[in-house]
Amino acid sequence: MAASPSRRSMSKGAWIGLTLGAILMAAPLVWTLLLSIKANGELMRDSGTAFSPPYTLENYAAILQGNMVFRWLINSVIVSLGTTLGVLALCSLAGYGFARLDFPFRKTLFVFVLLGLAIPEQAVILPQHRLFADLGLHNSYPGLILPGLAGPFGVFFMTQYFRAIPRDLDEAAMLDGASRFTTFWKVLLPLTAPAQATLGVFTFLGTWNSYWWPLISATRGDMFTLTVGLASSQMNYAQTSGLGFLMAQAVFASIPIFIVYLIFQKQIVGAMAGAAVK
Amino acid sequence: MTGPGVWNRWGGFAFVAPFLLLYSFLLIYPLINGIILSFHNADLFGGQRFIGLGNYRRLLGDPIFHQSIFNTFKLAFIIVPILTAISLALALALNRPGRTPAVFRGLFFSSSVLSVTIVTLIWRFILTPDAGLMAELLEAVGADPIPWLSHPDLTIPALAITTIWWSVGLPMMLFLAGLQQIPEDMYEAAALDRAGKWTTFRKITLPSLKRTTVLVVMLQTAAQLQIFGQAQLLTAGGPSGASRPIVLYIYEVSFGRWELGYATALAEMLFLLIIAVTLIQYWTGARGQER
Amino acid sequence: MSSKKGVPLASLELENIRKAYGDTLVLDDVSLTMEAREFIAFLGPSGSGKSTLLRIIAGLETLDAGEVRLEGRRIDQVPPGDRGVAMVFQHYALYPHMSVFDNMAFGLRNAKVPEDEIRTRIEDAARVLEISDHLQKKPAQMSGGQRQRVAIGRAIVKHPKIFLLDEPLSNLDAALRMRTRVELAQLRQKVDAAVIMVTHDQAEAMTLADRIVVMNDKKIQQVGPPMEIYARPANTFVARFVGSPAMTLAPATLVADAPGEHATVRIGDGSVVETQVPRAGLPETGLELGLRPENVRVLHVNEGATTSATVELVERLGERTLIYGRLSDGQPITAEDEGFSRVRIGDTVPLKVNGAAGHIFGPDGRGHHAPSHGGASA
Repeated sequence: MAASPSRRSMSKGAWIGLTLGAILMAAPLVWTLLLSIKANGELMRDSGTAFSPPYTLENYAAILQGNMVFRWLINSVIVSLGTTLGVLALCSLAGYGFARLDFPFRKTLFVFVLLGLAIPEQAVILPQHRLFADLGLHNSYPGLILPGLAGPFGVFFMTQYFRAIPRDLDEAAMLDGASRFTTFWKVLLPLTAPAQATLGVFTFLGTWNSYWWPLISATRGDMFTLTVGLASSQMNYAQTSGLGFLMAQAVFASIPIFIVYLIFQKQIVGAMAGAAVK
Repeated sequence: MTGPGVWNRWGGFAFVAPFLLLYSFLLIYPLINGIILSFHNADLFGGQRFIGLGNYRRLLGDPIFHQSIFNTFKLAFIIVPILTAISLALALALNRPGRTPAVFRGLFFSSSVLSVTIVTLIWRFILTPDAGLMAELLEAVGADPIPWLSHPDLTIPALAITTIWWSVGLPMMLFLAGLQQIPEDMYEAAALDRAGKWTTFRKITLPSLKRTTVLVVMLQTAAQLQIFGQAQLLTAGGPSGASRPIVLYIYEVSFGRWELGYATALAEMLFLLIIAVTLIQYWTGARGQER
Repeated sequence: MSSKKGVPLASLELENIRKAYGDTLVLDDVSLTMEAREFIAFLGPSGSGKSTLLRIIAGLETLDAGEVRLEGRRIDQVPPGDRGVAMVFQHYALYPHMSVFDNMAFGLRNAKVPEDEIRTRIEDAARVLEISDHLQKKPAQMSGGQRQRVAIGRAIVKHPKIFLLDEPLSNLDAALRMRTRVELAQLRQKVDAAVIMVTHDQAEAMTLADRIVVMNDKKIQQVGPPMEIYARPANTFVARFVGSPAMTLAPATLVADAPGEHATVRIGDGSVVETQVPRAGLPETGLELGLRPENVRVLHVNEGATTSATVELVERLGERTLIYGRLSDGQPITAEDEGFSRVRIGDTVPLKVNGAAGHIFGPDGRGHHAPSHGGASA
C-alpha cells in the first residue's frame, strides 16, 4: 500500500490545506454547539459572547422539560422507522420476485419499475398532494409514510442483490421441499442482511431528512417531523425563546441521526463503493 | 429459468404486487395526473378547467420563471464544479490508511447526514450580519459585516457556500471508492517506468477516475437543479427573487397562490430539463470514455 | 435393455425425454432404465445434455416430452421435494447462514418429520460421514472436504430412493478427490438407494459406476458397464472420449484378398493390420481403424515392426511413457513405451501394432469389435 506515490505520506502543503479545510468544516458545528450552551439573554446582547464562559445547559433542560421538539422527534422516529420497515418488506418481496420467479410480463414490469428511477420529486409531489388530500391522509402517519414506499430504487437494489445469490441455493431448497415463500423467508432473505442494512440506513436517513413532502403534508404543529418543525422555529425565531434555545434544538435533533450514522458507517461507505464501481 | 413447471406461474405476482400497486398508485398515477394537470387551470383542492398549452405559453413569457431558471443554472454552475474539485482533492488527500485520515473522512462526511433545516439553521447564524459567526470574526478585526443574506449579489454565493459545506461528503466518498478501484500494480508499473508524481496522477489516477467523475457530476447536477430547502429557509428566494430557484417558485405558485395547473406545468418543464441535462452529460461522458 | 431380466422393480425409468430451450434442442428422445440400487454415471463433455437430464430427474427443469418414473410412479409433474430424490450440488449449495445440523434438518422439517427422528437421522449420518463434531458449525468454518460431506449428509438424511450427484468431486483438489472417490464408493455400499452421478471425468465414472451412460450431442451414445464401454465403444465418439490418451483413429481400407473371416486393413502409410473383427457385415469403404495406445508398442529393435513413426512429443508418466508421433503419411498415432524410454522428439521409432485388439469403425461411426468371447471385455 505504502509504495504507491498517491499514498505516500502527505506533503506539507497538503497537510496545511487539509487542516484548513477541516477547520472550515468543523467551525460551523462548533459555533452551533457553543451557541447552544449560552444563556439566551447574553446572546441577545452579543452573540460574540459565545466564545467565552459562562456556559449553561439551561437550553437543553428547557427542551427536556417538555417542548414540541419532543413530539417532533417522536413523529420523525415513527415516520422514519415505518418507512424503513415498509421499504425493506416491499423491496425484499419484489426483489425476490423479479430476480427469481418466472411470471408473465416479468421483464416488462421490471423495466416499468426502472423507468421510475428517472422521476424527480417535484414532478409528482403536487398531484400526490392533491391525491392525499382526496384520501384525507394529510396530517397523518400514513400520509407521511406512504409516498416513501413507492420509490423504485430499493426494488432495483434488492433485485440486483438477489440476483447475485447463487441459484443453486434455491434449487437445494426446492429439493428440500421448501415452498416459494419458505425459500424466500428461510433461505434467501437471511442472506440479504447486508443489503437490508444498507438500504435500511439510506431509507432511514433519507426519510429523517426529507423536507418537501412533510412540509406540505403535515401542516399541523403536532404532526410536524423534526425537519419541518425546526424550519418553522427557524422562520419564527424572532418570536421564540432565543438563539441559544434554537441551536440547542438543532443539536438535539441531530443526535439521533449522528448515532445512526456512527453505527452504520460501514454500510454507508460500502454502498458508496458499490455505486462508484457500477 | 429454473421455473419448476409444477409451480403456478402467476404465483410470482404475489411477491411483486404489493410494491407495484403502491408504485402505480402513488408515483405513476400522480406523474400522469401531473402531466394532465399541466394542461388545466387547476387549484390545489379540486376545481380544474382544460386550457391546453395555456400554462406552457404563460411560463414562456413569465419573467419570474426566466429569473428562477437562470438562478437555478447559476447555482448549479457554481456549486457542481467547486464541489467536484474539492471532493476530489479531499479524496486524493485522504485515500491512505491510518487513523488520522479516517477521522478526517468522518468529519468531512458528517455534515451530509444533517437535514436541510439544521444545515440552514447553522449557516443562518454564521452568515447573518447581526449575530453570525462571520460577522463576529469580522468585527473582531475591525471590518464591517457582510450582508450575505440580503444583498442581491451575495445571496446566491451564500446558498452555494452552504450547499457545498453540506454536500461535500457524498462525492468525496464516491471518489474514495473510485480510487480504491485503481489496481495497485498500475502504480507499481508506473514507478518502474520512472513516472513522476505529477505524471502518475495525470496519466493513471485521473483517467481511472473518469467514470466516477461523470457519476459525481451527473448526480450533483440533478440534485442542484432541484435545490429548494436552502433557498426557502435562508434567503426566501430574495431579495426580490435574486436567489429564487425554480423549485422554490413551483412551491410558491402552488402553496402560496394555489395555482396547481401552472405549478405542474413548471414542474414538467423542470423534469424535462433534468432529463435533458442528464442525458447530455451521460453522452458526453460516455463519448469521452471511448477515447 | 437389460431391464427385462426379471429384476423386481426398475428404480428409474426415463422414456423418450425431449427438452429444448427456445429453439435449441438439448435432449433428443432420451430413454434409460436403471436397476434398483444401481450406480450410474452420466459421462460426457459439457453441453452434452447430461446435466440437463439430471436436473429433469430432480425436477429443477421441466421436460417438453416424455416421462420420468421412479419405482413405477410417474414423477415428472411432481414438485422436486416430493419426488423421493436427493441431490448433491456441484458447489454443495449449503445454506451459509444455517449450522450444519440445520442444513441437514431443513428438508426434514419441511417434510414435517418429527424433531426427535430428525435428530436420530442426522446423528446417524454424521457418524457415517465423520462430521459429528461439526454439527454446530457454519459451512464457512469448514474445509472443502467437510462441506462436501455435509452436502452428502443433507442428501442421506432424507432417505431418498435415488441420489443425484452433480460433478461431486470437481471442486476438490487432486489428493482430496482421490480420497473422496474411495469414500463415495464405500458410502454407496451403505445406502439403500440408486445413485446417478454426472461427471466429465472418465476415471471417476470408471471407478464408481456400475454402468456408464456416455452422452454427447443431446443423445445417449452408449450405455454399459465401464469395461464394456472401454473395450467395445459403440462409436467413434465413445472410442475417443473414453480412454486417456484417446484412441488413435486412422482411415483404413479393407485388404480384399486377405485370408480368413477376420478383417485385415491397410492404413495410410501402407502398413497392413490384421484384426479380429469379423469381416462379415463390415461396410466396404470409409472405414477407420481404432488403436488404443497400449496396443501400439515402441520396439527397440527393428525386428517385428509393423510400421514406424516420427516422434513429436514424449510424455513420461513414470511407469510408462507415451509417445505421440506421426506415421510416414502424416497420420497422428499414440504409442506406449516402458517407463525409462530413450525415445526423443524427432526420432523415428519402429512400432508394433497389436492388430488383434484393433477396432474398426464404419463410415457412420459405428464400432465393430472382436467377438467378446472370454477375454475381450476384461
